[in-house]
Amino acid sequence: MNCRKIVRRLSAFQDGELASSLERQIEMHLRECAACSRELAEMNRLRERLLRLPPPAADPYFPGRVMALLPGRPAAAQRLLRAAAWAALFIAVFLGGFLLKTSAGATDADGRHPAATFSSVLLEPQAFGLLAVHDDSLDLFNGGGHEQE
Amino acid sequence: MDDPRLTDDEVVTSVLGGRRQDFEVLVRRYSSRIVHFVARMTGDNDEARSIAQDVFLKIFVNLPYYRRENNFSAFIFRIARNMTLNWLKRRKRTVFFSRLLGHELDRLPPSQDPPSLSPMEQGEREQALTRQLRRLPVEQRLALVLKVYLEFSYKQIADVTGWSVPKIETLISRAKARLKKGIRLQESGNEPVVEAREK
Repeated sequence: MNCRKIVRRLSAFQDGELASSLERQIEMHLRECAACSRELAEMNRLRERLLRLPPPAADPYFPGRVMALLPGRPAAAQRLLRAAAWAALFIAVFLGGFLLKTSAGATDADGRHPAATFSSVLLEPQAFGLLAVHDDSLDLFNGGGHEQE
Repeated sequence: MDDPRLTDDEVVTSVLGGRRQDFEVLVRRYSSRIVHFVARMTGDNDEARSIAQDVFLKIFVNLPYYRRENNFSAFIFRIARNMTLNWLKRRKRTVFFSRLLGHELDRLPPSQDPPSLSPMEQGEREQALTRQLRRLPVEQRLALVLKVYLEFSYKQIADVTGWSVPKIETLISRAKARLKKGIRLQESGNEPVVEAREK
């Protein structure tokens, strides 16, 4: 290997990142080549200077600050909750719409219009067809009936 | 509190299982390295602590997306890298607009912890070297900082950055050559003033 090729791999050699066979070749070259050895020595001095730079002073309150700022729960749980909230809202809107549509066109046995709004449906259950059916079935269940007797 | 027998993955499992207080174990294990990494990238220790704080909050929120393969270090340094690079981009924009407005924010000396014990000359040399580091193109700086200060192998740097090992070797080699040149110029009294392009 010539000096140009050696110098190109010298940084990886310094970092201990070369295959052992290539490492041996470079070591042999360095024993004989003053210029490449100087290059490596300069690289070593640079590394020492870089490592002498003082690291940022330790902050003993850092972990406590981070813990105080943590959100309630990791993202997956947050997403799950958000999805559940949307699902609940969707079901509520769907049910509300369904109840309104069911009650809007229907009339009860006396020809009266049943409740027009969802809240009035809740307030006047006897006017709501489904509940009326339910009342009949309850009668049947209790031994009562219409024509059987 | 921090049981060293517990692996990072076991701590993560515990946090995800509802013991959020165990997250502090991870913060204590990694905070000094994350702050050090960000400080070397930004050249600003105060900003580094603030960014590192945001890094840990982001790590916590993204914990469910961590695939437990005993490579938690790569996971958190990826987040630290992204947030630091975003900060550097924002600062670059700020510097650009401040220059337009006639201010010179980038010429302000970076805030450092007071070098109270070191002699003045030593402090000046350290500051000069910190400036040289800041002037490295971002990719070279990132690779060099991970290698020199975090003692990552090229493979570990590849895990964090997504770059190939030959690219990392080239970046580090160029960073070293550039720093050596900068130091030589600085010692001869011809220190370059212009910042390198952030690429």
